[in-house]
Amino acid sequence: MGEKKLVDARGMACPGPIAKLTRAYREAKNGDIIEVLATDQGFVADVKSWTESTGNKLVELKQDSSGVIRAVIEVTAKK
Amino acid sequence: MAENRVLIIGGGSGGIIAANLLAEEGKKVTLVTDSPVHFFQPANLFIAFRGEPPEKYSRSVNSLLHQNVELILEKVTKLDLENRFAITEKNRKLDYDVVVVAAGASLDYDSLPGMRESLNRFGDYYSTPQSAVRLWETIRGLKKGKFVIGVPDLIIKCPPAPHKGTFLSASFFKKEKRDVSVELLYPSPHAYTEAELARTIEKKMEEFGNISVRTSFLIDSIDVERKVVVGMNGEEVAYDALAVIPFHKGPKIEINPADARDEDGFIKVDKNKLSISSYDDAYAIGDCTNAPTSKTGVAAHLGAFTVWRRIRGENAVYTGRTNCPMITDNEAIFVISDYENKPVGQRFSKLKRLMEDLFVSMYFPSLMHPRKFEPIFNAYFEATEPSVLGERGW
Ligand SMILES: Cc1cc2nc3c(=O)[nH]c(=O)nc-3n(C[C@H](O)[C@H](O)[C@H](O)COP(=O)(O)OP(=O)(O)OC[C@H]3O[C@@H](n4cnc5c(N)ncnc54)[C@H](O)[C@@H]3O)c2cc1C
Repeated sequence: MGEKKLVDARGMACPGPIAKLTRAYREAKNGDIIEVLATDQGFVADVKSWTESTGNKLVELKQDSSGVIRAVIEVTAKK
Repeated sequence: MAENRVLIIGGGSGGIIAANLLAEEGKKVTLVTDSPVHFFQPANLFIAFRGEPPEKYSRSVNSLLHQNVELILEKVTKLDLENRFAITEKNRKLDYDVVVVAAGASLDYDSLPGMRESLNRFGDYYSTPQSAVRLWETIRGLKKGKFVIGVPDLIIKCPPAPHKGTFLSASFFKKEKRDVSVELLYPSPHAYTEAELARTIEKKMEEFGNISVRTSFLIDSIDVERKVVVGMNGEEVAYDALAVIPFHKGPKIEINPADARDEDGFIKVDKNKLSISSYDDAYAIGDCTNAPTSKTGVAAHLGAFTVWRRIRGENAVYTGRTNCPMITDNEAIFVISDYENKPVGQRFSKLKRLMEDLFVSMYFPSLMHPRKFEPIFNAYFEATEPSVLGERGW
């Protein structure tokens, strides 16, 4: 079983939640789960294309009524 | 008045402006910093890609300070927020009524294999002006092949600086008619962290013809022997010369209580008041904080004004405003945002480049006389308010 890591990037606009996600990814290994909370609306599209182009798995992507985006990523592409 | 003894830690942009503002109105100000020289960091680019001399952009800290500021040239090793004192490497104890930490970010070249060797071999434009001179020698000597700029992490000073380096080096190779291409390795899915700006930048890069960008590229290590950058998914990019942007951490100062810093050593502040944790007699400004905005000179500058006002008893706040220039040889855009507004859409223009040159020429005088330049900066900030420019772009 991999580890689970929570990345809270709420309120972060510039340089944005991708900055914190890549930091968490650096520390992670295959099988780990990274959960990101963000409020930057650009993150919805960004996290989709980021997981796609890096070959990792986007397990869940949701936005609640208060606008908080929750993305759950399974790390699968590390060498 | 109780808060008469103000201690400022760090003689960079933020520290010097704060010291001068406070001294001008009669506060007893001590500034402690570990370097006798203040260097204008954006000029690293002019040194590395145009061969300009570092002296042009260096001044003694002393020459930039109001005559009433007491200057101590020592490194601070410890700050005790509970008991209101700092300790220097020479074991000097500095008591205060109010402290302003402006110690900037510290750079880390050791958490990525091969990064330090690469720095020693090619130079870079983040660490020191001397290292930028080294990079200029590298660039000047590169007759053909590929110059790679690698960005392992996005929490860096001046987020557009990797792109500035890309444009300026590509301009140099074009002007010299050299068969050298420039490749930017970038961790986010677009050529910039914000998608709309990224499109503008990607278009400009295409126009150049000798620039390529690899997005969602996460650098794992540098194989100095084989001259390749290795990505986290195992992909490799070959280079002939390389500049890697270092990791940024908080300043190397032990703080009591320890939880005043986050896991990377950045000082935890209220993002608007810039007070440290729950203390009302301690502030941090500029690159050393964890404020969720870009690490840029503008944030340090506006942070210094905010803290000066708060120390005077006004209810001033910092809005997270940024203004990071991304320049090519003859054009520019500005990354303008704040806590509430994402970066404003931009068009490259020659006029913006001229404005950037004007800011550069105003830099040292505006540190020395912050109040004199305040109306000019305020007019600019008002005219370029992110909420006003908004969807319209600029
Ligand atoms: C290549 C590059 C390009 C840039 N371009 C731009 C730009 O175009 N526009 C812009 O606005 N910003 C730009 N920046 C960012 C800008 O330089 C910084 O954001 C700004 O200098 C931050 O100011 P500061 O006062 O927080 O920190 P700094 O200016 O870094 O100052 C920190 C000071 O603290 C001192 N210090 C550190 N530790 C200690 C200690 N323990 N004890 C005592 N003293 C200590 C240091 O010697 C230094 O003098 C750029 C940066 C780089 C590297």
